[in-house]
Amino acid sequence: MFEFKLNMADTADAGVLYDLIIIGGGPAGLTAGLYAARYKLNTLMIEKALVPGGQLVATQWVENYPGFPEPVLGEKLAKDMEAQAKFYGLKVVQEDVLSVNLEGETKEINTAYNTWKARTVIIATGSSPRRLGIPGEQEYSGRGVSYCATCDGPFYPDKVVTVVGGGNSAFEEALFIAKYARKIHIVHRSNRYNADPILQERVAAEPKIELMPYHVVESIEFGGQQRYVKLKNVLSGLESSLDTDGIFIFIGTVPNTKLFEKQIELENGYVKSYADNSSSVEGVWVAGDVQAKTLRQVATAVGDGANAAHAVHKYLLHRR
Amino acid sequence: MAMLDDNVMQEVKKALQNMKEPVTLELFSQSFECGYCKETHQLLDELSAANPLLQMKLHQFENDAEAVKQFGIDKIPAIAVVGKKDYGIRFYGIPAGYEFSSLLSAILLVSTGITKLSADTKKFLDNLQKPIHLQTFVTPTCPYCPPAVMLAHQMAFYSDKVTADMVEISEFPHLAQKYSVQGVPRTTINEKWYVEGAVPEEVLVSKIKEAL
Repeated sequence: MFEFKLNMADTADAGVLYDLIIIGGGPAGLTAGLYAARYKLNTLMIEKALVPGGQLVATQWVENYPGFPEPVLGEKLAKDMEAQAKFYGLKVVQEDVLSVNLEGETKEINTAYNTWKARTVIIATGSSPRRLGIPGEQEYSGRGVSYCATCDGPFYPDKVVTVVGGGNSAFEEALFIAKYARKIHIVHRSNRYNADPILQERVAAEPKIELMPYHVVESIEFGGQQRYVKLKNVLSGLESSLDTDGIFIFIGTVPNTKLFEKQIELENGYVKSYADNSSSVEGVWVAGDVQAKTLRQVATAVGDGANAAHAVHKYLLHRR
Repeated sequence: MAMLDDNVMQEVKKALQNMKEPVTLELFSQSFECGYCKETHQLLDELSAANPLLQMKLHQFENDAEAVKQFGIDKIPAIAVVGKKDYGIRFYGIPAGYEFSSLLSAILLVSTGITKLSADTKKFLDNLQKPIHLQTFVTPTCPYCPPAVMLAHQMAFYSDKVTADMVEISEFPHLAQKYSVQGVPRTTINEKWYVEGAVPEEVLVSKIKEAL
């Protein structure tokens, strides 16, 4: 009944010039790390979280990554990816990157604790949950407003929960929360859902979950005795309130590009990628969700990571 | 049946190879009215077999009043991670799931004396006048929680003025009620103030400054 998960950060030498620094330890970064380590590049990964895998660890089950006919736990897949990369020599330090200098021959990555230096960089910083930007959201974040079902789902045994969104995350996480809550409303602005049809079927078969199409959440009112959200019907314009103990928001993601935005070319907020996953700056590559592309999945992230590491390997071969 | 399977046990042994000084896990438990006392006891039994420098000492919460007072224990199961002295590092509730990493980190912290705190944080802690009590609320399934726990524990290790508790909130629902916790991690500072999420060191420091 109990699981025990061990994730220990490595220590690394900040005095050396690394061949490659990978910023971010999701599937893209971990695959780049695996390939780079096997190319025998002196590689360092800097990941702000202790548990590797990026958004993968906030996902309960992964069902569309090839090679796993049975659903695989997101955290397990991430941990195994990390173990595989570490087996070949990847070092992972747990530090929060504060600033970077990507210009010139030597790239610098500054954290609260160290200045790390490398000849090349792969940006694999992924993306973060998008906020609704409505009254009450910030105020009650962590007090009823959540973006992580595996973290906060257990707070709602036999409670009523609102889930916002119409994509895979909203549907998957609503199904997860249904293990705890008594009733879940999925509020979505239209009646077109982007969730994979298989997830839509499962949600339809779950009696605890009720779809509320054509509604948007206007505000979160968790201050009083009875907690509720204010809704607006986008067709009729009618406003209503919906009693709820908590609200989970899954309305897509925003790329984590703040560190780089002044130094690198972006496209719609994402890092613009050129041939072989290179960026607009020499010696800097990009992989995974942070990259401008159409499909953001584990399966596409690992391809990006492999491509980027291979390109770094070729680049360094010609410059030794 | 063992709680720690062979794979985990091997990882544990590898991680604990870096131990330098002996560490005692002071466990407070009782045989009744305690959610996971039995399981926590078994966990520490197995864990303390992983390295000769690590040992467990069992206290009965209901009749070892002296130890309860000495370590300031107010709920169970409780673990105090003690080395050369008691640094004020506590775990309330079973350190299972992702929190197992927090327990191992606390053991290594106390055993090796290596903290990662920045020079600024250390300077701030050196000048603390008032006691600081940090309580980090977690669930075992929260991957973002251990860094918040570890940061608080490092501050407790570094400063005699700071004590830091991990609190597994599902075992202490009255505390969830009292502090209106509905998301984790959350770290309360001296009861009144709190920070949400696994925040960087300087953010926690600035919140502590506000609380003072």
